[in-house]
Amino acid sequence: MSPDILDETSEVWFGPQHVSAHGWATKLTIVGDYVVECDPNAGYFHRSAEKCLEFRTFRQGSLILERICMVEAFISEYPYIAAVEKIAGLEVPEKAKIMRTIMMEASRIHSIQFWLGQLSGELGLFTMMLWPWVDREYFLDAFEELTGSRHTVSYNTPGGVRYDFTPEFLDKLDKAIVRLEDRIPIFEDMLQGSPTFRLRTKGVGQYSAKNGIKWGLSGPNIKACGVPMDLRKDDPDPNLAYGMIDWEVPITENKEHPGECDIYDRVVQRFKEIAVSVDIIRKLLPLVPEDGPIVDPKARAKANRLPAGEAYGRVEGTRGVTAVWLKTTEKAQTPYRAKIRGPCFNSYYSLKHIMPGLRFADFVVTFGSLDPYVGWWDR
Amino acid sequence: MSEMSASTLARNIINKIPEVESVPLEVNKVELRVPASKIRDVVTMIDEMVPDVLPEMVFGVDLQDDKYELIYIFWSYRARALWQLRVSLEGKEPEIETVCDIFPGLEWHERETHEMFGINFLNHPDLRLLLLPDELEGKYPLRKSFVTDKGRLAESGLPQPKPRPARGESK
Repeated sequence: MSPDILDETSEVWFGPQHVSAHGWATKLTIVGDYVVECDPNAGYFHRSAEKCLEFRTFRQGSLILERICMVEAFISEYPYIAAVEKIAGLEVPEKAKIMRTIMMEASRIHSIQFWLGQLSGELGLFTMMLWPWVDREYFLDAFEELTGSRHTVSYNTPGGVRYDFTPEFLDKLDKAIVRLEDRIPIFEDMLQGSPTFRLRTKGVGQYSAKNGIKWGLSGPNIKACGVPMDLRKDDPDPNLAYGMIDWEVPITENKEHPGECDIYDRVVQRFKEIAVSVDIIRKLLPLVPEDGPIVDPKARAKANRLPAGEAYGRVEGTRGVTAVWLKTTEKAQTPYRAKIRGPCFNSYYSLKHIMPGLRFADFVVTFGSLDPYVGWWDR
Repeated sequence: MSEMSASTLARNIINKIPEVESVPLEVNKVELRVPASKIRDVVTMIDEMVPDVLPEMVFGVDLQDDKYELIYIFWSYRARALWQLRVSLEGKEPEIETVCDIFPGLEWHERETHEMFGINFLNHPDLRLLLLPDELEGKYPLRKSFVTDKGRLAESGLPQPKPRPARGESK
């Protein structure tokens, strides 16, 4: 690079019209093609979900939550329900606990498949963009069989779940998982075996676990640094079934730089997440009781009017700590205040620290590797 | 360093800053009631004593009549402990010191609380609007006094929904 290029800085707006900018715009200050400053801008999709929740009853509220992140709808609607259950003192039947957990893990797999296609598309590997999306359809078919809807599933409800498993649904879920297990080695080979992929991801977009936690990152973005931080293990929700079985928190360790992770590690980590989710589903499916209620019979009456209280419902989402803080007043039908914590709010913020020093062409991939979903910051 | 339980850290903080009160929430989850002037001291102590602490969020609650609460949530995965700090604020334009130089992850949460509630974070590096459009600057939509669109339907000129007939009244 000739020195005169280095004298000038220019500002480039990346998005919101760019194809890889799913509705966000980031201002990058560049020298040559190196980024020196990154200023992420949120707000293009803001729909004020927190204010909307103050005007919806407790049973309606989860419907707003699931629309925030539709690719992991079973997970994104859950924290609100967990908070309502804590305040109302609802007891969830054992059968519903197991069914919830199975569906949340299926949703996690579906979300990671969606992300895998998205990231590969951003890398220019278009075969790898479409193949995971084909497999994702099998999970959507299973969701449709169970709930009648492919994305806005509305499966969890305060006190239990809405629909029981049917033999047709179990067939479709099994078909989706068997196909997934066949295809994952092919995907791993196509990505990790590809020299292009390794050149573009190894040593790019690095950060240390220490910094990542300070920036508020969680979930696979931190587990890729070798830190076993996982709410499913550390703070399991009493109304989910993660404690009933043995499973391991997946982590990835970078051999050259211990305690750090680059884009490659984060991709490897998410493949491991899929394997663990499949393991959890396989272990939980035989535990589902044949009979028994799937919802607390008093739930409808109890969740209509809640006592005064505060509760914090959280769950390990596909992208990290997903939580809702809820405050209610005595006998109110709607929340007094509901605060949503989306994991991607902090992922998007952390770009400000990750991007400086990287090249302009690495921007899309670096951001894509954090698994962004615009709904979580523009709630 | 051994893992510090939620109540041990709370005791350490109270020994150093006696104005702080602690309230147990659940197993290994503690709420600390912190005076607004001591927030930086408490957050600094959490940062120093718990190396793996995750700053989950900061947000406001409008208690009406110019009273506000700020809630900070910190989580340590190794100790499996959660600390919820509660700060009460008063006034038309309440103020508090920023903590985003200690935990950069809270920078945007403070920025959001500022635009939604009008709580001013002193020494915050960047308090531009984050999520709101420019025309809502200074309107603070998450305050209870903010009139929502439903109440302002008449201004828009759109047809108003017909009121439901009262019980026992014919259509």
